[in-house]
Amino acid sequence: MSLTTRRSRLAASALAAITAVGGLAACGNDDEPAAGEKPSKLVVETFGEFGYDELVKQYEKDTGIKIELRKTAQLREYRPKLVRYLATGKGAGDVVALEEGILNEFKSNPRNWVDLAPLIDDHSEDYLPWKWELGKAPDGRLMGLPTDVGSLAVCYRKDLFEAAGLPTDRDEVSALWPDWDSFLETGRAYKEGSGGKALIDTIVAVSDAALFQQGDDLFYDKENNIIAETSPAVKASWDTATSMVELSAQIETWSPEWSGGFKQGSFAATFCPSWMLGIVSENSGEENKGKWDVAAVPGGGGNWGGSWLAVPEQSAYHEEAAKLAEFLTNATSQVEAFKAKGPLPTHLEALQDDSFLSYTNEYFSDAPTGKIFGESVSKIEPIHLGPKHQAVKENAFGLALRAFENGQVSEDEAWQQFIKDAQIQGAF
Amino acid sequence: MISASKRLWHTSPLTYIALVLATLLSIYPFYYMVVIGTRTLDSINDVPPPVTPGGAFTDNFGRVLDNDAANFLTGMMNSIIVSSVVTVSVVLTGSLAGFAFAKLRFRGRNVLLLSIIVTMMIPTQLGLIPLWGMMQTLGWYDTLYAVTVPFLVTAFGVFMMRQYASQAVSDELIEAGRVDGASTLRIYWNIVLPALRPAAGVLGLLTFMETWNSFLWPYAVLTPENPTLQVSLSFLSYAYYTDYSQVFAATAVGTLPLVIVFLLFGRQIIGGIMEGAVKS
Amino acid sequence: MSHSTTVAPPTPAAPPSPPGDTPKRWRLSLARLDIKYSPYLYIAPFFLVFGIFGLYPMLRTLWMSLHDWDMIGDHTFIGLDNYTRLLTDEYFWNALINTFGIFVLSTVPQLLLALFLANLLNRTLLRAKTFFRMAIFIPNVVSVAAVAIVFGMLYQREYGLANWLLGFVGIDQIDWDGQTWSSWTAIASMVNWRWTGYNTLILLAGMQAIPRDLYEAAEIDGAGQWRQFWRITLPLLRPTFIFVVILSTIGGMQLFTEPLLFGNGNIIGGTQRDFQTLAMYMYEMGITNLNSAGYGAAVAWALFMIIGLMSLLNFVLVRRAAK
Repeated sequence: MSLTTRRSRLAASALAAITAVGGLAACGNDDEPAAGEKPSKLVVETFGEFGYDELVKQYEKDTGIKIELRKTAQLREYRPKLVRYLATGKGAGDVVALEEGILNEFKSNPRNWVDLAPLIDDHSEDYLPWKWELGKAPDGRLMGLPTDVGSLAVCYRKDLFEAAGLPTDRDEVSALWPDWDSFLETGRAYKEGSGGKALIDTIVAVSDAALFQQGDDLFYDKENNIIAETSPAVKASWDTATSMVELSAQIETWSPEWSGGFKQGSFAATFCPSWMLGIVSENSGEENKGKWDVAAVPGGGGNWGGSWLAVPEQSAYHEEAAKLAEFLTNATSQVEAFKAKGPLPTHLEALQDDSFLSYTNEYFSDAPTGKIFGESVSKIEPIHLGPKHQAVKENAFGLALRAFENGQVSEDEAWQQFIKDAQIQGAF
Repeated sequence: MISASKRLWHTSPLTYIALVLATLLSIYPFYYMVVIGTRTLDSINDVPPPVTPGGAFTDNFGRVLDNDAANFLTGMMNSIIVSSVVTVSVVLTGSLAGFAFAKLRFRGRNVLLLSIIVTMMIPTQLGLIPLWGMMQTLGWYDTLYAVTVPFLVTAFGVFMMRQYASQAVSDELIEAGRVDGASTLRIYWNIVLPALRPAAGVLGLLTFMETWNSFLWPYAVLTPENPTLQVSLSFLSYAYYTDYSQVFAATAVGTLPLVIVFLLFGRQIIGGIMEGAVKS
Repeated sequence: MSHSTTVAPPTPAAPPSPPGDTPKRWRLSLARLDIKYSPYLYIAPFFLVFGIFGLYPMLRTLWMSLHDWDMIGDHTFIGLDNYTRLLTDEYFWNALINTFGIFVLSTVPQLLLALFLANLLNRTLLRAKTFFRMAIFIPNVVSVAAVAIVFGMLYQREYGLANWLLGFVGIDQIDWDGQTWSSWTAIASMVNWRWTGYNTLILLAGMQAIPRDLYEAAEIDGAGQWRQFWRITLPLLRPTFIFVVILSTIGGMQLFTEPLLFGNGNIIGGTQRDFQTLAMYMYEMGITNLNSAGYGAAVAWALFMIIGLMSLLNFVLVRRAAK
């Protein structure tokens, strides 16, 4: 029922978008002679949930080009696949999503990527300026078009909060934890009220949230030296995370147990960059609809994740692929993707769009997610992520925190493990 | 005499209990796969877990076929082709070389045999990186050649056939063949190969299954456009959460050919092992 | 075929045939050529294909191991530096210990169980023996990936069957992938489940080759079944048993997929590298980290040498034990 209304609304707005793009594309074609035949199929390669399912169907209908969406579960599996496709010159999609954690690694060889600027209209003024700049290769070519940013919030279960005697209204909940100390207090209160249950899934999620709030150099300095040991941002995030260990259900993010935990109510809250909304609802299932809500993140601000769309040089259809990427990142598409799965727009028009700002997420108790996330976007400050940021964060920082969380090692030992592994994982 | 051998091979009820237990343990995970594959996604996380198959198989498998990214049917077809070719080749080359090592005398036999045993100790991942580069050079990346040709022979096959041949093929039979003026190839074909049939059946079955189930290498050299079955299955679990009922429905269907091959030939193979071994 | 034709047996030192008998002489020398050289022809396919796709990449890996090798960049010759680095690399030794631990936990129970099952199945009067033989082989038919998902569910901390069962005997929830011993046990159980039936089948084939009259003679001498097993079955099974042990060693030392999938696909193998095997460490260094491919190649060669030593050791030990 809700699906049909969503779909028809989506279809209408996508149609509007396509007529606009289609017109422009026609102009473009006049300048250039038809370069080769029309592609029979274009492949869009993403990880996780970008919310493109309905958008590509619409694009298919309007252009007659078949679009295949190829999704990979985790970034951890996605990155090596891309590396392999690039190294062999074969296999990559025509449009490829690059996440901020791995973007720099791929920038180091810009020849693998098509310069999008000559193939599409000028969009240099259309997006958040810092996001647009990051999409450029070191040589100044336009490597990627911005998709989303991941400004932060907390997703929480109202029913579990209520059972533990905590408030359930999102404003009241947000007021419970202006900073991380009060978040810890709330977690203790929840534990007491619920008979010892855990508030959050894992302290690694805390570290992610806290890390990206620091807005400074993280694991690398500007010259891309590893500064894991001395970086104040890293240390701050570490301390925040380790202080929360008593609140944790000790469930690794993205593990099968984590996916199942949403249904079982293993934890009552998790950190939600906006792209996480779709994942929370998919995992929780239809039966938990209306039980989740969205509150502000402790400490305020911060950005976790976000991507760009790029076209690999190996694609046979540079121009068509670029057009498709342009379509998927335009204002209307970004709003529709946000409504479908939650990735937060980076297009300035989309961020001003009424249907975005007034959007309420039915699954999350009609939370005004458009407003909540939209307001936080302006506060995001660009962070410098080094070439192997993702590897250091996941395989050194995250693993050390989990070892501590599981009680395998003391905090001190865990920190030493992190310092050592950061050197190994971060070398490039 | 009859009573003696009856007593000799007396089977106690305990034997059956042990065997039934082993059977249940062996079959349970496979059965569980079928249960999940025929149920809706929601019921998987139910407590207590479901124990009987449900009626959602068509729906689950329909999602598999609809999944553009997985190319399930292509994967199935490719796996049938690759596994069959590899199996026939491994059995033929293995029995031929095994026969030579077991029954023929030639210079350097022992050294060469030893080198084959050493070969079996090579970690499969050892040559992975350079082999991958070779596939590019040969232009075999993303083709079935890449997952077929390097696996046409196995040291295991040669070694296993050699072990069996030295036991199951009598020297007298070979001598008799020579006396009749048969060429070595003819002896292989008419005397050795039939005697090796039980072992060849086992080797063939094992090779087929191993090829069918191999993942790491096909995943490294094939793209989702032209996958083998296991590669295709890996693309089914696409999102941040895994659609287990879809994955298990597909896995169950993907295992079906193996089960059929096994049911068809397993009996003969097992029966053959007994006969062949006893007769020699 | 030529059974009925009575041809004079060619004596080994046949005198040169008289002229005028050329076809026969031609055939004879052809036969001699056949006997002398055809063996090489029969083993050629193996060595040819293996040489190109097995040996060459292997030697290439050796060459890489002598370099500081970046997969998408430069490489410089550094001699044996990678190997000396191995000696002091804590993570390498850790992976080595993990590999051995899991190997022992999986191979010993597995072989004992396989021996036991094969002995049970080696009965002429067993009903439904084909059914049982096929049933215990089923685990090997299912792909590792599927097995890993199912076992992963069994070993979940909160809702897994394993902890649920342990709860009945009063054992607290175990965090299976959070500790070394428990993760080893879980992975070993996966390996055991998959390979016991396979080894049973091979051992059974070996047992079937033991002549029946030996047992009958022992029976007449009054030897019980247990005694027969020790006196006749085990000693005569020795070649097959060595074969099975060596295969298990090779497989156990190369263990990769099970621990990888047990840890949700992370090549590190647990938060503390609790169950990272040598093959996983090699993969991490050689393939995941593009810039240390040379070091990964050195790990690969070290692994190869360890397997060689282990097989040799096995061979000697089993041989001595059987004597």
